[in-house]
Amino acid sequence: MIDNSSAFRVKKALGLFMMFSLLAFAAMPTLWVLILSIREQSAVFQPIWESPLAVTLENFLSIGRSDFPRALLNSFITAGTATVLAMIVGVPAGFALAKARLSGKFIASWILLLLRMAPPVGFVIPLFITYVNAGLIDTYTGLIFAYMTLTLPLITWSMWNSFSQIPDELIEAAIMDGASLTKAFALVAVPAARPGVVAAAILGFLVAWNDFFFALIITRSSTTTAPVAVMNFISYDSVDWASIAVASIALTLPILPLMAIANRYIVQSLSGAVKG
Amino acid sequence: MKHLFTTALVASMALGASFAPVHAQTEEVNVVLFGMPYTNGLQDLADQFEEDTGIRANIEVIGQDVFENRITLTFTGGSDDIDVVHAPVIQVQRWIQAGWLQPMTEYVAAMPGADDILAGPLNAYVVDGENWAVPFMAGAGLMTYRQDVLDEAGLAVPETWEEMLEVAAAIHTDDRAAIGLRAVPGQGFNMFIFPMIMRAYGGNFFADYEGGDLTPAINSPENLEALNVYIELINEYAPQGAGNFNFAEVLAAAQNDQIAFAVEGTGVVSRIVDPDLSQYAGVTGIALPPGGPAGRSPAIAVHGLGIPTSAANPDAAARFIEWAVSVDTVTQIALNEAFPDFTTGPVADNPEVIAKYADVHPDFLAMRVQALDLAIGHYRPLIPDWPSLGQAVGENINAAVNGLMSPEDALEAAEQEMRDILGLY
Repeated sequence: MIDNSSAFRVKKALGLFMMFSLLAFAAMPTLWVLILSIREQSAVFQPIWESPLAVTLENFLSIGRSDFPRALLNSFITAGTATVLAMIVGVPAGFALAKARLSGKFIASWILLLLRMAPPVGFVIPLFITYVNAGLIDTYTGLIFAYMTLTLPLITWSMWNSFSQIPDELIEAAIMDGASLTKAFALVAVPAARPGVVAAAILGFLVAWNDFFFALIITRSSTTTAPVAVMNFISYDSVDWASIAVASIALTLPILPLMAIANRYIVQSLSGAVKG
Repeated sequence: MKHLFTTALVASMALGASFAPVHAQTEEVNVVLFGMPYTNGLQDLADQFEEDTGIRANIEVIGQDVFENRITLTFTGGSDDIDVVHAPVIQVQRWIQAGWLQPMTEYVAAMPGADDILAGPLNAYVVDGENWAVPFMAGAGLMTYRQDVLDEAGLAVPETWEEMLEVAAAIHTDDRAAIGLRAVPGQGFNMFIFPMIMRAYGGNFFADYEGGDLTPAINSPENLEALNVYIELINEYAPQGAGNFNFAEVLAAAQNDQIAFAVEGTGVVSRIVDPDLSQYAGVTGIALPPGGPAGRSPAIAVHGLGIPTSAANPDAAARFIEWAVSVDTVTQIALNEAFPDFTTGPVADNPEVIAKYADVHPDFLAMRVQALDLAIGHYRPLIPDWPSLGQAVGENINAAVNGLMSPEDALEAAEQEMRDILGLY
């Protein structure tokens, strides 16, 4: 039955108003950045309705000529490699923690959590000195290992949870049919936990992609990543807002298709895709 | 499982090997600077240094916040990855005390162009009889004003802060505020501006800085008077939200007809009066900052190049600095960039440089020289604790501007924090 009462209509209107208000609130910064990115330098702070024709693509061209594209590439290389390596180690580790009869599981879970919770600033000086002595400053290797301290615990913990939802009987049946443990893991467990695998990879990548802190202390000119490079548009006596806006868009764009593709996997993973 | 783990280790080691840096064999000098017109211009000329000397200059120009973090880690970690470092005079005292910089006295004595460097900025880097850096830039505080606004109101350019209050009251409207001033807390932000008012009223940070008595004296009647003027200007005659303006907001407000007056450093002033950057440049004039009962005290900011104690190649670093402040290099940068703040004296005699800045604004270079003549070297105290002191005082001044405490309480709190930082109980 359709409710046409005025009370219902008011409730619906109120709901829509709240929804659009929240949407506008959330979208406003993005819209602002988009407008800033195409404004001429002299009109950056003018309301768009006062000088609607003061738009230019020069900000994009100027970013293209700067070191920023190299920084974006560095971000891709380091975040991508750190995610792949963390998946190679973390997915089997999560499987082992979920399925093996290990005595120190409780301790392992706490160590993993502590690694996730420890503030990086707490160990910045020892990390920096270690890196200096090991010659890892301004190297991809150094940054990738640093990122793995972020991504590996996240992926391991996440995969532990995903594999825990797969019934033991599924693995046991594969082994009884003659599969080795490695095959059972690779051909049965991983496909069954696919939403969790995709979600873990994407979350791991995002954590590394958005990192500012490690990149700030470990990178120099050769390996500067995009989040640090954005800060270079703030100089001693000027702030290049238009370039910052373009750089912010460039930092966000690569993630959008990734998120769109992975959206359903993340939802499935968070809601528990495999039920026993 | 074992296989997988081994595979992961091997893969990561292989990747590590492939990403290891390749070290070049040519002599190199690593230079870390933060972004400003001079440093950007210097980076563009790096190849010339290699052509002249055979030494490759790896010049990295980064944001100021990134710079602060990197050099602190490099210095504390004893890393040798920086041979030449950007050295603001205001930081140098602390770096010397911490043993992070090496003396440059012998290098400066042997430098053929040392006599070309202006004596004031060069001496700003002399501590305990030793040179610790060589200046490349000296920015000064100046005032910009909208001539059309003053003409319309039939008013003259204010000479004192008292007059500024009167003019501000006459020209302030909802559409265009009278003035924009930095207010955000920080030793380089509101503490670049407020001391201009403070010293005009006869105020000081210490009882007798020049005589060596560093007893805090921020809580004085003169400073209270100055603070009240600063608060009135920002709260009554500046744009909405001015309580947290920094140079970027002041610049934007001036370029967009939102303020009639700005008191800023020469770098920002050069942008306000540049016709390419502001459509109001043609009606904007330049003057010295207002004074007071104790005279005028324009702000001054000196930046130079130093050599870290941990530098791997100090001799090459000294050669680089000699080249970077030479007449030829600085003239090129003054012509290529918006850089009127040079400290290499003969550059000011170059006809092309004179013509370029006369085109930007006919009074610009002359006003800058006048402001530098009036400025005192210790405008902001040249002591190792200044960064902490400046931050503490700046935060209390900002709190007073934003109504979080009374001006009296703010100065009292600032003085107490200065005592705490200096260990005077």
